[in-house]
Amino acid sequence: MNASDTSHHRWLWTGIILTGLFVLVPLLLSLAGRSYFYQIANTIMIFALLAASMHLVTGVAGLLQLGHAAFYGIGGYCAALLATHFKLSFVVTIPLAGMMAGLIAFLVAVPTMRLVSIYFAVATLGIGQMLHVITLNWVPVTKGPNGILLFGGMKVFDIDFSKPVPAYYLVAVIVAACIYVIHCLSHSYYGNALRALREDDQCADAMGINTPRLKLESFTVSGFFAGVAGALWAHTAGYISPADFNFNVSILILSMVVLGGLGSLPGSILGAIILIGLPEVLREFKAGDFRNIIIGIVLFGVILFQPRGLIGEVSALDFIRNQFGLGRKAKNDANKTDGKQMRVGWL
Amino acid sequence: MDYYLQQLVIGLSLGMVYALVAIGFTLIFGVLNVVNFAHGEVYTIGAFVGLLIFVSFAPPLVVVLLVVLAVGAMTGVGLERFAFKPFRRFNDEATLKSRAMREATLMSSLALSIVAREGIELFFGSQFQSLPLKHMLNSPIKIGPVTIVDGDLIIFGTSFLMLAGLQFVLKHTSVGLSIRAVSNNPLGARYVGVNTDRTIAWTFAVGSGMGAVAGILVGLYYGAIFPAMGFTPGIKAFVAMVMGGLSSIPGAVVCALIIGISEAMSSIFVSSVWQDLVAYAFLIITLIFFPRGIFGGARERV
Repeated sequence: MNASDTSHHRWLWTGIILTGLFVLVPLLLSLAGRSYFYQIANTIMIFALLAASMHLVTGVAGLLQLGHAAFYGIGGYCAALLATHFKLSFVVTIPLAGMMAGLIAFLVAVPTMRLVSIYFAVATLGIGQMLHVITLNWVPVTKGPNGILLFGGMKVFDIDFSKPVPAYYLVAVIVAACIYVIHCLSHSYYGNALRALREDDQCADAMGINTPRLKLESFTVSGFFAGVAGALWAHTAGYISPADFNFNVSILILSMVVLGGLGSLPGSILGAIILIGLPEVLREFKAGDFRNIIIGIVLFGVILFQPRGLIGEVSALDFIRNQFGLGRKAKNDANKTDGKQMRVGWL
Repeated sequence: MDYYLQQLVIGLSLGMVYALVAIGFTLIFGVLNVVNFAHGEVYTIGAFVGLLIFVSFAPPLVVVLLVVLAVGAMTGVGLERFAFKPFRRFNDEATLKSRAMREATLMSSLALSIVAREGIELFFGSQFQSLPLKHMLNSPIKIGPVTIVDGDLIIFGTSFLMLAGLQFVLKHTSVGLSIRAVSNNPLGARYVGVNTDRTIAWTFAVGSGMGAVAGILVGLYYGAIFPAMGFTPGIKAFVAMVMGGLSSIPGAVVCALIIGISEAMSSIFVSSVWQDLVAYAFLIITLIFFPRGIFGGARERV
């Protein structure tokens, strides 16, 4: 397999994914003919974006994040409040919600960046819980446990996207664009610097990588995309409440990333498809109550038996080599251990 | 003034409960250097087992507490067997203290805690369990100007007994000696012939037993027994552990009391729905400004 082969494969995969996303899935959904299925498809895409944003910070940069739902929630509430109070349109609220979540992620990250490993995890958990308590009890603004209803639908430059099919395409385009950005970030020299951070942050520091800055940046970017996901959720669901953004949601997103394989972007997306799709399939068999218990069992089983997840990490080094046409040389050098070392990572 | 005193008493008994839960965290962290995220669920299981015993046999409180202690200890041993032991594949010091090991056990215990909580919810429903009023610990007692309930006294008494018992176990029994040895230096303990696996199981038994008793005490005190009840006390006990310096039991107890009292006092000034924020704020402040705990002590990079 030489460099041009891999490049062909890449275009092939991109083509398959885009065709699936924009042609096959809508076709199947319209054949199924229930708007409920469109809602599930939207949920899967939103969670794929959430899993991808957590992939950047937890999978690639190795910062265990237990409060991701907080940034998702900030995005959701920001979009909902802007849309209901200031009548801002969809096009404006999505980036504003993302920026708000990114800003708060930045503010949260500044003091917690020195912490490592489980201490960082627990700090994010604490911050996630604080924000949850605030959304639940700051009734004048967030309406507390009653949540916020959004009217007005999704309008982009006066074109109404509120019907199921246009809404699906709108969400699909935004999610695909965001995931493409995350893909570019994590499969680049920048992503490799983040991986160095994950493998050994003291060593990366000694090699001249500015670790606090990298942590700060990856955390902020991840918060931004979580905020975009939250805004999409608020607009597609038309109703948000604190229960949509509690600790269980953080764990759900983490489970997606772990199930798919830490450090693997396709894995995170696959994890999102499985963990949102599976309960819906089970619901058809009247087993919807078991949703969370299944998530727990799946998470436990994966950590115990398949710590690299369903799709292990695609070696970033190989990727870079192929991009610069160095694939054949690298293979001939029999330098395969590099790829393996990249994958050892977490476990 | 009386109101302040009353809040102080409430805060003390709240703090005592957090202390019981925090000791479990601290013991386990001391021995294994890992966080047991399922500790809150042990607390829930304690409350539910106690409730079941009360409803079906209605024995005296002491019997219930002893049974809950035993069940909690067994839960702890089972938890260790399934969520922690499989990850101790190697016994060198680098592996035992590695980040991968910590994060894997953190997530495995988190996963088991989800399974336990959702299992209880499937079985009992997510609502508050109805508790026969005569079992609840809230008959008022007047001491001077302050009115407290008998639950406060029982929580104090039981916690003191258990703390004293723990001190006895740790200082005067062979199990306690091996627990202290392993938490001091796991490899050294192994070299001098301590059975580390058994010691770790004992640690989980002791810590989880105390957590389970805390669960039933709180359940009877507030009359609130529900599947998600363990989450918040679990987090707060964890905060107490971090504040106390990670593996110091006296530190954890003192910090648990501080958290309990500040929560109770905070409800004087703001609505009680905000009091959960106090513990989270403590957590963040401690992690940022006193990463070694407010008494100093812990020796690793946090």
